[in-house]
Formats: sequence, structure tokens, C-alpha cells
Amino acid sequence: MSFVASSLQRVRPSTGEDPAPTPEIEITGRRELTSDERELAGTIFAEFRADPRYHRFVLGCLNCGECTSGCPAARFYDFSPREMVQVAQNGDATTLWDAMQEKIWACCQCYSCTMRCRFGNDIGGIINVMRELSVVHGLESTRRALAPFRRTFTLLGTIGTQLAPDMIQPEFFRDWGPAATATEADWGVPLEILRKAIPVDVLQTTRAAWEVSVQTSLELFRIYEEAGVLDMLRAVDPDLVEMLVDLVEERREEFEAARERYRNELERMRGPVATFPG
Amino acid sequence: MLDSGEFRALFPNRPRPPGGPGRTVADLREEMERLESEGEIIIHRIRPENRPVRVTNLVGRTKQIPTDRLWHHKSCGQCGNIPGYPSSLLWLMNATHRTYLNEPHQTSCTAWNYHGTATSNPVALAAVAARNFHRAYETDHFPLIHCGTSFGDYKEMRKLLIEDGEVRKKVRDILHRIGRELVLPEEIVHYSEWLHVMAPEIVARQTHDMRGIVAAVHEPCHYYKMVPEDAVYDERVYAGQRPAVPTGILLALGATVADYSTWYDCCGFGFRHILAEREFSRSFANERKIRPMVEEAHADVAITSDTGCVTTLDKSQWIGKTHGFSYTLPVLADVQFAALALGADPYRIVQLHWHAVSAEDLMTKMRIDWKTAKAEFREYLQRLKNGGSPELLYPAREPIERFFAINKGQVPPEPDPGPSPSSKAVPTDAKGGSP
Ligand code: SF4
Ligand code: SF4
Repeated sequence: MSFVASSLQRVRPSTGEDPAPTPEIEITGRRELTSDERELAGTIFAEFRADPRYHRFVLGCLNCGECTSGCPAARFYDFSPREMVQVAQNGDATTLWDAMQEKIWACCQCYSCTMRCRFGNDIGGIINVMRELSVVHGLESTRRALAPFRRTFTLLGTIGTQLAPDMIQPEFFRDWGPAATATEADWGVPLEILRKAIPVDVLQTTRAAWEVSVQTSLELFRIYEEAGVLDMLRAVDPDLVEMLVDLVEERREEFEAARERYRNELERMRGPVATFPG
Repeated sequence: MLDSGEFRALFPNRPRPPGGPGRTVADLREEMERLESEGEIIIHRIRPENRPVRVTNLVGRTKQIPTDRLWHHKSCGQCGNIPGYPSSLLWLMNATHRTYLNEPHQTSCTAWNYHGTATSNPVALAAVAARNFHRAYETDHFPLIHCGTSFGDYKEMRKLLIEDGEVRKKVRDILHRIGRELVLPEEIVHYSEWLHVMAPEIVARQTHDMRGIVAAVHEPCHYYKMVPEDAVYDERVYAGQRPAVPTGILLALGATVADYSTWYDCCGFGFRHILAEREFSRSFANERKIRPMVEEAHADVAITSDTGCVTTLDKSQWIGKTHGFSYTLPVLADVQFAALALGADPYRIVQLHWHAVSAEDLMTKMRIDWKTAKAEFREYLQRLKNGGSPELLYPAREPIERFFAINKGQVPPEPDPGPSPSSKAVPTDAKGGSP
């Protein structure tokens, strides 16, 4: 069945028969769900409601629209925080499913709505819960939304910062114009020298926002492993995770070699370095 | 700008902001004390050595802002893209004789990634926060958060770790596996709060008159819209109706702060939008922020106090020409503005050459000889290219620090005062002065 309806609207197909008892809603504003999708929508809905943040973040709604009136995303997208709270409260799994396809990615996470809501809802926060679930379950729309972030994930996973000076190059950010950042064309020296001219030692880097010690970056990776972040990433980009694991293995080997090289100095020191298992 | 009385008179029926003498608000710190007494957490306390200054937060509670012996929690976007932001801050600390540690032993807060992609979760975010808190604690320097998003995230994570025993246990277990303990700082402090309370000392060193400069302030969302009660308010700034930072330091330096209708709006950064959907970021930045700042406030400069906001407002202006926005409004962080007011070199220290919109006309208005500074900076770059050594604001890290978060002789305050410092003590605290 195909029709146009404003998304998120509950529409009941007319069969000409007595509608009672009401079947679960099967038709969304986009299209009918396959049985697999329906099952997944049910699972996601149950997990959404079971998340401990649900009852902390969604407290009720007056439909006053105060949140939407200050929402930047609502000015440019078919999206509103009031609607997201209605979705969050709605008992229908497909309604939640629909909102999780695209709408959740319109929000720019400014928390203007959260600060304004007289009910005390954390709307930016509940949108994040929906987003997390869309990642955990590797929704196709989420894979598309996250595709441009491979370099960021790689940097975070292997180094521990999520931006590098060599990312900010005019060819990647044409819309920022020819003077977007300091370049060799303007200053006659390459990026490496421009970074060296920053009077802060750990900023004299081109491939990381600042120099992160190997121990520190391994600690972050360990946190990501232990807290299930790698599993989340695996659901949207398994190849990336394999690559990260390989890269981090190299970092670990580098760390072990350094432990050997600096053995005497390390033995003289006290502090966590002596106990970090690597 | 209206003074507080005039501002308040515009809203005769509006109740006074909460706070003031005699008001007590139950806050997280009481719960932190209880958790510490039960051995659940260690509190990183602000001590006299941190030379704290008291301010008031949104709900009237006193917030202590440490001004000395600080651990710099850097920002990815600042360090990667606006390096004059952290270097101006460190320069100001040298100028005011404050000590600090700026180490390679800090991870990103990872919250930019979280708010952009949701590829994390509360346990991971809280563990990252606590990992960095613990590192600051073991160096016996109090964490000073550079990024508005790190600040917002760390406020949230501290709250979560206090309120949710299950998350606390998971995080503690993870920390133990990396050789760390669950430490929570007594206060989460943003650098702009340091700047705010340091205003008297900064103004005392001012070399450039800013009275002719009109600034429009963009208030960073994650500074005050996440865990709002922890942001600093001051009756002298917008009558306590808006956050005191970064407006307070601009007023102290003599600049005129001009208001505009869309002050509450975000900048358009969007976390994912700035990387993957910039049509939104640039449209929003130009239409909702830059245009009113120029047309309504007649600003010479936009001032803000967060990474993403400087980036979005600065970088989005060029493309605006395609839609008839022909504005070239310089965008600076509050610390960059303050450093210029104190005579910092606009290129070597304030690093203005990384910004998309030129600040040269602004500097001319400030009576800064940027032409000479620029020529000297070009020569400096050539010296570096020919193998010269860079000038630094503090002694450089040791080679071993490329690998290890070494203890440099600091003695963590509590609960284990520890034995005498290691034999490998390195004098890493800056002692003032500039290169
Ligand atoms: S956090 Fe999202 S939903 Fe809320 S106001 Fe900002 S953009 Fe809108
Ligand atoms: S501000 Fe709160 S109560 Fe009002 S519509 Fe938005 S979510 Fe509902």
C-alpha cells in the first residue's frame, strides 16, 4: 500500500469491515514494515522503554511548543522537539521506528529545548537514547548518517582526539573559502611549520589535535572495549572496527617496546604507569 | 548596554533570580561527601593552593573557581583548528603568574563524537570523564575544562556518577582495569569562569584600550543549557538574567557589549552537521547569528567561549556571499580578546592566522600594530623552516612522555599523601612571563 501522509501520523487502512479489534499499526508515513523490521521495531521499543534514562528524561508534555520555538533544527527540517517527546511517549513501536530513521539526526544537540521545557524533559537527551539504539541495531539509515565519520572514529579509537589539523584542508572544506585556515599558499611554509609556530609543545602536531601519550590513548581504547563502544561501532561499520583493532595492536606493541626501553626510568618512578596493564 | 537596574526595570513582574543571602539549595556536593565517606568515590577538593575565588551559580549556590595550580583539559577543536585559543589562555596564565600542567596525558572527552554520532554510551562517557579527572587528581592540579561541550558533558557525567550506583560500579571496575580510581572534582570549572574571576588581575595588566570596540556575545549552549544550575551568573552582568561569562570580562576590559534578538540561539555547529551537513550550519550561522550581530548590534567582533561556536561562526561567513550575506565579522574567543588587550602578539600567541575572517581591521581599531607583528611572524616561520627551535610558553615535555603518563613528582593530596616525590621530578609548572 502506498500513500502520502505526514510521517508519524497513525493511519488505519480501510478494509470496509468492522475494524474491531484494532490490529497493531502496520502502516507508517513512509511505507509498510517488513516482518523483520516490525520485529526489530518491537525490540527497539522495548529497549527504549527499559533504558533507565527514559523515566528520567521524559516526564510528560503540555504540548506547549516552547521547546520547538527555540529549536534551531525545527527552522530547517521537518522536525520538532515537541514531536520527539510525543513520539517518546507514544505506545506504538512503529512510531518510534519511523522517527529513528531520519528525524533523530536533524537535532543539533544544543539543549535549548531541555533548558526551556517547563516539564523538565531532557529532550536532547532522549533523542540521544534513540540515536544510541539506532547505532546498536545498525539501522541502515544510521549507517548512511554515520558514513562521513570514519576518520573521526579512527582518530578517536587510535589516538584519543577526534580532530586533526590536517583534516582542515581547503579541498575538504571548500565552502569555508580560500582563507578557511592558515595555508602554505599564504605563509610560505608547510602545515608542519605553521603548527611548530604554536608556542605550546603538545600542539605541534599535524595528525592529532594534540599529542596524546600512547598510554593515554590505550586507556581510552580499553574504556571503549569495556563499555561496549566497539560493539556499537561494529553494528554500523564492522570493517572499521577490525582496522581499529589492528591499529591499536600496533600501538600496544609500541608501548611494550617503550616499556622495555625506559625500564630503568620507570622503575624509579611511582604512579599509574607501573601498573597499567597495557 | 543597560545596567542591571535598567535591565530589571524592563521586566517589572519577573521574579528575582533564585539565590541571594540565606538561600540553601541541596546540591550534588552533599551527596559526594556521603559517597566519599562510604568509600565509593574520592573527591578532588579545591585547596588553598588553588587560590579559589567564589562566584554564584544559577541557583544561588556558591561555586569556587580555582585560579592556580590547574590541569588543562584541552579541546579537540580548539587545539586542532583554533590553536590561538589555548595558547592565549596559557599566555594569560603566565602573565598573571598562575601555575599549570598542560600534558599529553589527556584524552578527548569524546562528547563531540557522542553528540554527533551517538556511538558511545553513558558508561563510556562517564569512564572517559573519570579517567581524565583521575589523571588531574594524581598530578595534584585541579582540572580546568577548555571546551564548552566537555564542560557540559563532564557536568552531566559527574551528576550521573553520583546519582546512579550501577553506572558508578561499572565505571569504577573499568577504571581499575586501567590502574585508576573513581575521582570526582568538587567543582567542574570552565576556563571562561577562570577568566571571569581573574578580571581584576587581567585588567590591571591591560595595555590596549577596548572602549571603542563593540562586541556581540554568543553564549555557548553547552556552557549553560546542560546542567544549567552549574553555570555562573552575576548580578552585574545582565542583572543575573544571563550567564556572566564571557560578557563579564569584555565589560571589565571596557568593551561595549551590544545585545541582539537571537542571543539565545545556538551557533549552528550541530556536532554532526558541521562535518556532514554544513548546509544547515552555514545557513543557521549566517541568518540567525551573524546577520543580527551586524545589523542589530553593529558589532565589530563576535565573542564566544566555546570551540564549536568560534568555528561555525567564523568559517561559515565566506559561503554566505552566495546568498547575499556579505558580512566579515571577526570571531574570537574571549581569551583571545583578553590576550590582545594585554598586548599579546596577534600571530605568535593569539594565532589569528588560523581564523577565516580577518581580524586586521579590528586590530587597527584596537590600535594594535599588526603589520609589524605579521612581518615578524613571517620571519619567525622562516627561521623555524630553517631548523630554528620554537618558542614555548612552558618547558617542553620529556621524550618519555610520548609513551607514559609519568608522575612528575606531584604528590596526590588525599587519601594517600604518598612518600617523597620521585627522583625524576621535572619542573613543569610555568612560572610566568612570555616568550
Ligand atoms: S537539542 Fe535538538 S531538539 Fe532540542 S532545541 Fe536543540 S536541535 Fe532542537
Ligand atoms: S516544552 Fe516540554 S512540555 Fe512544552 S511541548 Fe516541549 S516537551 Fe512538551
